[in-house]
Amino acid sequence: MSEPVIEAKVLSKRYGQKQAIDQLTLQVERGSVTALLGANGAGKSTFFRMVTGLVSPDSGELTVLGRAPGWQTNRQIAYLPDRARWYKQYTTEGTLRFGEQFLPGFDSGLAKKMAEQMHLPFEMPVQGMSKGQEARLMLILCVCRDVPLIILDEPFSGIDGASRAAIMDGLIDAISERQQTLLLSTHEITEAEGLFDNVLFLSKGHLRFSGSAEALRAEFGSIDRLARQLSEEEQL
Amino acid sequence: MKAYQVDNLTFQIDFSQPLYEQVLMQMRSLIAKGAIGLGEKIPSVRDMAHDLKINPNTVMHAYQELERDGLIEKRRGQGTFVTQSGSRIQQFRNHFAADYTQNYLDKMHALGFNLREINDYIKTQQSGGLSQ
Repeated sequence: MSEPVIEAKVLSKRYGQKQAIDQLTLQVERGSVTALLGANGAGKSTFFRMVTGLVSPDSGELTVLGRAPGWQTNRQIAYLPDRARWYKQYTTEGTLRFGEQFLPGFDSGLAKKMAEQMHLPFEMPVQGMSKGQEARLMLILCVCRDVPLIILDEPFSGIDGASRAAIMDGLIDAISERQQTLLLSTHEITEAEGLFDNVLFLSKGHLRFSGSAEALRAEFGSIDRLARQLSEEEQL
Repeated sequence: MKAYQVDNLTFQIDFSQPLYEQVLMQMRSLIAKGAIGLGEKIPSVRDMAHDLKINPNTVMHAYQELERDGLIEKRRGQGTFVTQSGSRIQQFRNHFAADYTQNYLDKMHALGFNLREINDYIKTQQSGGLSQ
């Protein structure tokens, strides 16, 4: 296997009483679509924040694109944080212009095409948009970038069926057109599991289970079912 | 199990089974039984991925295997087409038919049936199955 895009070795992070990340060791394979799954509070978002250098671990070692997380790695990462919001006064058009000016690797032609396919109103400012429209706009800012790593934290949450389908279409296009690594977390597993190459299950801040999606399907059935089973066991 | 439509073709995708094999086996079947005719264009990797909601790489790998089977061929800038060669497809069908038949015979022999009894089973099954 080529050098992984992300490699975590015995990472730990504590917030007050809570052990958010607990001796986490994992790898994200280059060029894969990797799903980071687990219950709320399992440590997924904290891990993404570590990868993007927003949070530093108390102990352990983290390598992203061959070095420690920081500004040099961040320009090679397109990151959609959980509960992300965009500037209220920006229109779709203004947002795409922003992307072109400030985001490394931003493909404004592709972004425009995706915005049309996803039926985004061009002249309307974000404050007039629905939650789903705003989410699609932010997703476009991430997936239209020719960078080695795209990280999406819950890209489907709180978004209706039609918008989810549009987001899936956007992700499928991003995967077909470039050899990027896509790391995403989601609770809407049924929706997205056809995309997964690899699956990592977090539980209470550590890696509970991992494998290739196809091998897990052959052994346990759908990833959705496996995730439910693991979370039920956790509650016992 | 859920049915998906890609152009005028129907696929059954079951997310509790490996996806690569499902795409491969169903494409083989569509070509073997002539649902996609000789020399006909097959759906693009992108269209398959969009309509089946799966990773385009999964579709690509299945198509590569179909190419090795000799069932499809890529034409630069035009897309991917079923082979023009009817004999190639016949050869493929024969190969699998022999395989499946041998498999069936092995299982029946393992249960202690002889060829005459096996024949009777096939005839009974064909005419509506064994009555209880």
